[in-house]
Amino acid sequence: MLLTQVFLNWGAFFLYVAAALTAGHYLFTKDLRASRIMHVLLGIGLCLHLGAWGARVALFWSVPENRFFLPVSSFHGALSYMALALAAVFYVVEGQARLGVLGAFVLPWAAASLGAAVLFANPETAALAPKLRSYWLNIHPMVLMSAYAAFANAFGVGVALLIQERQIKSRKPTELCYRLPSLDELDSLNGRVIAWASPVLVIGMVMGALWSHAAPDYRAGPKEILSLCSAAVYAAFLWLRYGAGRRGRTTVYISLLGFACLLATFFGAELLRGSHSYMGGGQ
Amino acid sequence: MKLLTLSWTHKTSAAPAREALAAVPVEKVLAELHDRGCSEAVAVSTCNRFELYAAGRPDMVKPPEWFLEILSGLAGAEVASEAEVREDHQAVLHLFSVASGLDSLVVGETEILGQIKTGYEAAKSLGMTDKRLNVLFQRALYVGKKVRSETSVAVGASSVPSVAVQLAESIFGCLEGKSALILGAGAMAELAAKHLVARGVGKLVVANRTWERAYALAARFQGESVRWEEFPEQLAQADVVIASTGAPQAVVTRAMVEAAAAKRAGRSIFFIDIAMPRDVEESVHQLDGVFLYRLEDFESIVAKNLANRAESVAAARSIVEAKAEEFDRWAKSLSTEKELSLRHSSRPR
Repeated sequence: MLLTQVFLNWGAFFLYVAAALTAGHYLFTKDLRASRIMHVLLGIGLCLHLGAWGARVALFWSVPENRFFLPVSSFHGALSYMALALAAVFYVVEGQARLGVLGAFVLPWAAASLGAAVLFANPETAALAPKLRSYWLNIHPMVLMSAYAAFANAFGVGVALLIQERQIKSRKPTELCYRLPSLDELDSLNGRVIAWASPVLVIGMVMGALWSHAAPDYRAGPKEILSLCSAAVYAAFLWLRYGAGRRGRTTVYISLLGFACLLATFFGAELLRGSHSYMGGGQ
Repeated sequence: MKLLTLSWTHKTSAAPAREALAAVPVEKVLAELHDRGCSEAVAVSTCNRFELYAAGRPDMVKPPEWFLEILSGLAGAEVASEAEVREDHQAVLHLFSVASGLDSLVVGETEILGQIKTGYEAAKSLGMTDKRLNVLFQRALYVGKKVRSETSVAVGASSVPSVAVQLAESIFGCLEGKSALILGAGAMAELAAKHLVARGVGKLVVANRTWERAYALAARFQGESVRWEEFPEQLAQADVVIASTGAPQAVVTRAMVEAAAAKRAGRSIFFIDIAMPRDVEESVHQLDGVFLYRLEDFESIVAKNLANRAESVAAARSIVEAKAEEFDRWAKSLSTEKELSLRHSSRPR
């Protein structure tokens, strides 16, 4: 089962990389075939990835204590789930908004996340630490990582928005300017994705707070503080964007800052250690 | 198969001859040729060119002089001396070049494809195309599309208004339902208004120092006219502002735009300044969400696009030549027992 999982994960990783490259190719040529190929590659990649996820769950549940908990407590599980959510959110958002060109900005994150999982993290599963055996494990990290995936999509949109703005301000727009979606479309997509993902982030955090309240001897660590920072930055974005009616470069910079905080929350907490450390296996 | 082409283009013949020919409906030309014994012909007529393609068995196609005499008669002018005559391979090569936009005033322009299609369909509906002309024209349309998709001859807008519309679309997406403010009511303003309305701009407001002229221009486009003093308030609503007044100094100042921006809830605004001296203060371009383009910015984009197109002409010509030779091989194979296959996607077998 471990082999199946590793094999499927590698397959999904290569397909994500290929889809990201194809999206880049589409951005710089105007070959519509590339956009369609990207969609197909991503679709197959998602299927393989789901397969790998299924194999991982089966493997995890072969340890009786782990039964019915989701395997997201290890670094591998978390990264892999995030890549899955990211690719799936992009698949849906892109499918709806017909903005395949954004794949060049979003899919590298999915590929990097799954790449980090298959290259650097241990795919093996072990018995869950007793304090993690809680139904909260099935929801708190999942909800948060789904929010992260949506924010990563918004980050891709934000970068595309900055590039487009630069293109038009330069007065010497290149072909790229006419291939990217319009400023208005990018701006509204960026705002909408963040407006949807922010409540999810807050809900995930509140769930964490409830779980910690129920757990004895729990102490808040760097991850909690960093995640509060991210939520505050995104709240500032939403207030500026929808409350004060600001748009354009400043708001995009703030949304990018929010994503930087999220990255710090996800990876930085490893360096600082604390009760959330994946490397420590949640021990 | 013999193919004969007579053409009058902007490159080789003077405007009066082309105008005289353009005034004759192609249906009339074809009907006249048919009545006089020519059974296979297609005429393509545009504002820049008139072309006649006649085909048939070598002994059946009339000499060029015969066609020139009929055309001179129909045009009511002497057009024969300015015609270019091409036969067989040269004629195929010419048609494929024309379809690819390589012979056009603006290299790569796409209207010509539609014009060739119209000419071909007119001839077809009159029963004046046989297998050879059918294949030739379908092939020409295919080559025209192939050249545009595989080379850069048609990449980038080639005129100031089309670049302006493209940029507006890069800012706002679809222009439908957007509003435009026109400052000035001269010929340039009218031209700009025409392009914007054609792209779906929903609301048009015209401001001019002479209110009557603003009113007249607005009326022509079902727009609204406002007094000159009121235009700064309009800046808060307009998405695209086109300035072309004859004022000696800037009429749109940074302070005005800053005041308007505060009421715009962050919506972008696109200034197109085609006035000389300028109507809009240069520093507004530095404001967030404000984009100011001047005439020379558009002109340099057009020049760059046209230079890029010119660079792709050699690649386009090699496609045209290869496809013309392929067509020749097919046409020759018609007189043998084994007809070559001429598929759009592959070389003949």
